[in-house]
Amino acid sequence: MEPIASHENWRTCFSEVAPGLLLFARQWVQSAADAEDIVQDAFVKFWRRNHDIGNRGLLYSAVRSLALDFIRRDARRAQREATALAEADPAIEPHFELENDTQSALAAAMESLPRDQREVLVLKIWNDLTFGEIAAALGISQNTAASRYRYALTNLKKTLQPQ
Amino acid sequence: MNDFSELENELRKLRPTQPSSVLFERVGEALKDRRVSAVVDARSSWWRFKEATQNWWSLGFGVAAAAVLILFAVVTMERRHEQQETVAQASTASETRPAPLEAERSTSPSGFVPAGGTNVVYNTRDEGLHFARGSERPLRRVRYNTQQTWRWRNPETGASLRVSYPSEEVVLIPVSGQ
Repeated sequence: MEPIASHENWRTCFSEVAPGLLLFARQWVQSAADAEDIVQDAFVKFWRRNHDIGNRGLLYSAVRSLALDFIRRDARRAQREATALAEADPAIEPHFELENDTQSALAAAMESLPRDQREVLVLKIWNDLTFGEIAAALGISQNTAASRYRYALTNLKKTLQPQ
Repeated sequence: MNDFSELENELRKLRPTQPSSVLFERVGEALKDRRVSAVVDARSSWWRFKEATQNWWSLGFGVAAAAVLILFAVVTMERRHEQQETVAQASTASETRPAPLEAERSTSPSGFVPAGGTNVVYNTRDEGLHFARGSERPLRRVRYNTQQTWRWRNPETGASLRVSYPSEEVVLIPVSGQ
């Protein structure tokens, strides 16, 4: 992929990565607005330092780090919002643009996955990261990243199988 | 092809929600602010350098002035002490005796050399005649209360060291029977 620093128009680069970044950020924060704040901070820092998009792991690592900081900083509010959003209709702030019932079922199944499996799935499917990049972003080994991915798919398959 | 390829394809069909247009504006503003601040930083770097240089000069002058003041204070205090010693020596109620040579000759491995010493007697008490054991000759016992002060000076650095302590001395003076 082209180095991020060579993009004269940051919008091109940001529009490519923003949806995946937002989805990744929302693995920790339920609110879309909070996720956007986190993504903005991470991307601006990343762009200013002229990081290479080949080193995307760093960008996702920054998002994760900022999201965890947010949770620690405002744990009570995050908990309150998470409870409120869990009780609310998921259609209010959906993670995906759903087109049919199959996709809704798939999205719901994904939401039920353990967080460590879900974050690997999000990075692999919607952000096109390699297992090496995922390992760098999450601070785990490539083998762990690959096995979490397999567990996630296995669990999804089980959940979606007709009873 | 693995067992999950169909599931992976289904997952890829799910499109994450798009960020709001406001987010793009906010990122643009944040990046623009940075560019503006970078230009301002470049322009102000010369002034910052000048200010920093001026600050260093001020600090240098300040330290030099403080050093001069400290030296002046040390010299003044030295003189004051010497005057006090002279006054003490001139006192009628006291008696000053020369310091032992051994102390003056002693040198320190740190480069200090003896610069002087005083032994100010501030109290003398005549305790009367006494006879030493096995002797028929009377001895006058005199008790001296003194304040001994020794000074060393390092000729290279100009540093000085002063030690002062009280002492008590009993002297037996043979009395002639004339």
